[in-house]
Amino acid sequence: MRALAPGRRLGLLLIVALLGFGLLGPWLAGADPAHQILADSLAPPGTDYWLGADHLGRSMLARLAHATRLSLLLAAVTVASAAIPGTLLGILAAWRGGWVEGGLVLAADAVLALPGLLLVLLLAAFAPGEFLPLYLGLALAGWVEYFRVARAMASGLLARPHVEAARLLGFGPGYVLWRLLLPGLLPTLGVLAAFGMGSAVLAISTLSFIGLGIHPPTAELGSMTTELLPYAYEAPLMVLMPAALVFMAVLGCHLLAGQARG
Amino acid sequence: MNAVLTFAGLDVTAADGTALVRGVDAEARPGQPLTLLGETGSGKSLVLAAAMGSLAPGLRASGRVMLDGTEMLSATHSVRRALWGRRLATLPQEPWLALDPTMRALGQVAEVYRLVRGMPAAASELEARARLAELGLDGAAAHYPFQLSGGMAQRLALATLRASGAPVLLADEPTKGLDADRRDEAGARLRAEADRGRTVVCVTHDVAIARALGGEVAVMLEGRVMERGPAETVLEHPSHGYTRRLLEAEPARWPALPPRPAPRGEVAVTAEGVRRSFGGRPVLRGITFSVLRGEIVAVTGPSGCGKTTLGDVLLGLLRPDAGQVRRLPGVAPWRFGKLYQDPPSAFAPHQTMRQALSDLAQRHGLSWAAIAALLDRLRLGPLLLDRRPEALSGGELQRFALARVLALDPVFLFADEPTSRLDPITQGEVSNLLGELVTERGLGVLLVTHDAALAAKLADRVVQLRPSGAEC
Repeated sequence: MRALAPGRRLGLLLIVALLGFGLLGPWLAGADPAHQILADSLAPPGTDYWLGADHLGRSMLARLAHATRLSLLLAAVTVASAAIPGTLLGILAAWRGGWVEGGLVLAADAVLALPGLLLVLLLAAFAPGEFLPLYLGLALAGWVEYFRVARAMASGLLARPHVEAARLLGFGPGYVLWRLLLPGLLPTLGVLAAFGMGSAVLAISTLSFIGLGIHPPTAELGSMTTELLPYAYEAPLMVLMPAALVFMAVLGCHLLAGQARG
Repeated sequence: MNAVLTFAGLDVTAADGTALVRGVDAEARPGQPLTLLGETGSGKSLVLAAAMGSLAPGLRASGRVMLDGTEMLSATHSVRRALWGRRLATLPQEPWLALDPTMRALGQVAEVYRLVRGMPAAASELEARARLAELGLDGAAAHYPFQLSGGMAQRLALATLRASGAPVLLADEPTKGLDADRRDEAGARLRAEADRGRTVVCVTHDVAIARALGGEVAVMLEGRVMERGPAETVLEHPSHGYTRRLLEAEPARWPALPPRPAPRGEVAVTAEGVRRSFGGRPVLRGITFSVLRGEIVAVTGPSGCGKTTLGDVLLGLLRPDAGQVRRLPGVAPWRFGKLYQDPPSAFAPHQTMRQALSDLAQRHGLSWAAIAALLDRLRLGPLLLDRRPEALSGGELQRFALARVLALDPVFLFADEPTSRLDPITQGEVSNLLGELVTERGLGVLLVTHDAALAAKLADRVVQLRPSGAEC
């Protein structure tokens, strides 16, 4: 394993810190993120509430920690659900060619023509709950990217002499897939997934911010910002906190993805 | 201004202090070309880069490089820039990659007149047509670079250099990527530039180019000039051992190989009336021949005549449109192997040699001892096993490629230009090895090459393919 570049190390550090906050925060805060003490409405940070309390007197620390965990986990599941089928379909298309490839490319182009937001809206109308439409919408809109990259790279790799050589040496398709193709694709797809992770965090909080994703009282970074926006004059810090966490998560993902190497 | 380029005590040092070029003295004058001859990694290209002022960042040059009294090494970037394309021009390696892919041939030459020499558009075009005509490219004025052959692209690059009027011409591996039959042409072309009064500096590993160019030759090894003098002297009566080895590595000069016993008579593969076309263009038109175990059959002919196609059809990688391919019955498909022209591309870039070979051993239930014995036979040290392809030389990789084919006890091997990307000395080693193994193993080899001398030395029989694809 080569050492990570300084920028990517910083990104990794940010993500690990946020994950730690999301996983350890609820335990640290010791409070129920939905427990309201109206008398403590908009309490400033202090000994009672380390990060203050929101307009309903709920612990900000507990809510932020829960929201961070929710965002990162939902983003990770979404990215995995887009990346794994996308990559496998991309390889399948490059491998089989012909009508298989034609059909898959057509499907990918059709998804690409549909705005991702519209997909979430459509699903929100039909799918039950608040998590499922968000997850399905983002995964269904996201796989295309992995499909296209995997297909382009796999068809390049499959045409290379080393794959032909492996076949001539008696290796079967399983070997070509697992030992030759995937290791060749992984570095690029890893970068893509890190970017995708950042976009997913942003998309989840954006959709929740405009009331389409996860609704109150569940603590979510986007919906918390919406809830606290009316109190921006009295307690500007409270609005900034969830927004800052979104910023850090997205920045962390993008730094981790690293710069395109020249 | 008589355009004399002089190197005096030139050193190039890497950032970590490693000396890459040490104390190079040489000189090129109008009509008196200089050839730097050596293998990959001998530092010859760095000498050229130092003259141009285009060394990679981190490399430091010291000593002196003088062009008409200007000290090039200490000159500022803007001084050097002013010389580029006006006094000093480069003929790039693989010019088809260096030409503007979106511009027609005429435009590439005309823009030099317009932008470098400040001539009006109409006059530029007139001059450009004249330059193209001089080099026999009048028919190609409206072509884009991708429509030109390698030799034509090189002539086009030369036309732009002539247009610039730069008196000093630096050529970096002018034959790289050209077919053997175009190689002599490239040498003659550079010689013609020298005869027109240009100062030519040429960097090459190809002894034939050094011979064609004449003038002065400096033989380089590990950053030093081993031997320097007039081409006739150095190439005909070399005084240094390394130069002698380099010259002996030319296929035409190889000592005759020990005679091989007659082939076993068992037919490894047979083609009967094989036809194959690509995109409607027939490449193979009814070819019939066979390769016996224990013999080398060379197939020669210019690019595009279907040499590689023939081999791929015999291996079953391509299906013939008509005709039949018959392989020795009862033999597993992996005992028909292939050696590739570009050794690094034949290995997965992320796998070490140990990984690749142990996967192979596992797949076919071979013992590692058998593979280790084979590596020993091919003079591949155990230290090389833990390297990835990027850290191995072309010759080492080609021997690893041979090892993995031989591990499967092959009856037939399709060797597709197996030595054309290797240095001359390595080329000789790999070829000799191939010759020995044919006898040892009773291996039938189809050797594709465009080097007639190599074919004549190594093969028992030579099959010539004409460009049309018909057999001679």
